[in-house]
Parts: sequence; C-alpha cells; structure tokens
Amino acid sequence: MNKNDLKLVLGLLVFSVFMIWLIVITKNTDQKTAKVYFENDLVLTIPLSQESKSTHKVNGFNGEVVIEVDNDKIRVVQEKSPLHLCSKQGWIKETYETIVCLPNKVVIEIEAADDVDAVIK
Amino acid sequence: MELKQNIRLSMLLALSVVLSIIESMIPFFNGYIPGLKLGLANTIILFILYSYSFKDAMYVSVLRVFLVGILRTGIFSQTFFFSLSGALLSGTAMYLTKRFTKLSIVGVSVVGSIFHSVGQVLVAIIIINTTNMIYYLPWLLLFSIPTGIIVGLISKEIVIYFEKELQN
Repeated sequence: MNKNDLKLVLGLLVFSVFMIWLIVITKNTDQKTAKVYFENDLVLTIPLSQESKSTHKVNGFNGEVVIEVDNDKIRVVQEKSPLHLCSKQGWIKETYETIVCLPNKVVIEIEAADDVDAVIK
Repeated sequence: MELKQNIRLSMLLALSVVLSIIESMIPFFNGYIPGLKLGLANTIILFILYSYSFKDAMYVSVLRVFLVGILRTGIFSQTFFFSLSGALLSGTAMYLTKRFTKLSIVGVSVVGSIFHSVGQVLVAIIIINTTNMIYYLPWLLLFSIPTGIIVGLISKEIVIYFEKELQN
C-alpha cells in the first residue's frame, strides 16, 4: 500500500461513514407500512408498529414465501432459493431497509404509513 | 507461446470459477447486507490485468460470470445480470485506475471492489425497480474497503510470485 492508496481508503471511509450517519439520523419515526411486491406488483400491504404478531404467505417464483411480522419489524422466514439470502438477512424495520428475494422475485419495502398526512402536519 | 498463454488463461478461468463457488459457501458473506461478498475471484482478474492485459482480464471475467451462471445460479437469471454488471464495471474501473492513477495494486483492487458494489446497486434499481436499494450503497462501500484491501494484498503476492515464472 502506498500513500495514494491510503488517501483513497481514508476518503472512502469518511464518505461511507458520513452517508450511513446521514441515513440513520434522517430515519422516519412515523407509522410504517411494509409493502410486499411480486414481479413489481404490490401483493400485500402490512401495517407495522402495532402490538401484533402475524404470519403471511406470498406466492414467489419458486413457491411460497413465508413472511413474519413481529410488532414493528418484518422478516422472511421460509422461501425456496439456492442461497436463502433473504431469509438469512433477518428482521428489517426502517424505511431505508429492503429485503430482496431475487430468485423468488419478491421485494419487501418499508414506507412511512401515510405520506399525505405527514405533508399536512 | 500463444498456446502456452491460452492454456494458462484457461486454468486461471477455472480457478476463478472455483473461487467464486467456494466464496458463496463462506457463511459470513451470505446475507446480512444484500450483495456483500469477499470477491476472491477478483484476485485472478487483478493478476491477469497486471501480468497479461486488460483484454485477457475482461475475457476471463465475463466467461467466469457465464460459467458460474451455468453451474450455480442459472444463466440469464436476475442474479446473472448482477454478476455481469459487477464484472464489467469493476474490470473497466480497475483498468482505468491502473492506467491513469498512481495507485498501487491494493488501491486498484479497492476501486474494483467499490465499482462492483455500484454495479450491483445500479442493476438492483433497474431490474427489480427498488430505488430503496440505494440506501445499502454506503454499507457496501464501507465493506468494500477491507475486502478490496485483502484481495489487493493477495493479488500483489501472486503477481510478485509469478513474475519470473511468466518470462519463460
């Protein structure tokens, strides 16, 4: 490693940490909704942050995708894929987090529950 | 001489395919952050870039993506396009960095690693239509630094080790 490499590494380190910090401090604290998409079509909308536990089943490309909701967080429990990346990812709860089940063509996004309401406030 | 080089390049291609498959078995790099991986196969691409040429490096890189696609993830699947964009972007970026900057092989490796991440996020946004994936880019960039350095240091040793060997 020479001096130029070190400058590059330090620059990148500062940049990425700053961006992560920015994303985390601007996080949305409103009511959130999880939206489940299959092949870009919205198939399921689940309100988060209620005192409830539920399990949902969505048809993925390779078969059933089982989704679990626990209060304000959501995860994929079971799905058919070679690497099981989306079930290994575990729980997500912030609007900047996304679960992508590539082989199943299923995407879970989290959105602030009511954008219109937020504008009026 | 030509034949010798082609045989060496095909052996390197085989090695890079094996490295890709071994890497997908390392549990830490599966999951947690989508798209995160060590990039061991990039040691081979970097070695070819430094010891042969940009053209050879791109040939091996693209063929590797096709072979891993056939063997593991399915060719022309969405995963395949993720790998392809990563390979093309990082290969080109590493070549340009090597050619036009004063960075050593370690820096070039870090640049390759970064552009691999950028490629992944770009394809995610285009193919699966989720602009939210952009929020993972800073995380991917952060992890690209150590993985890029590790891959760069390994490649450096390989290049030095085979320097004399290749002159024959």
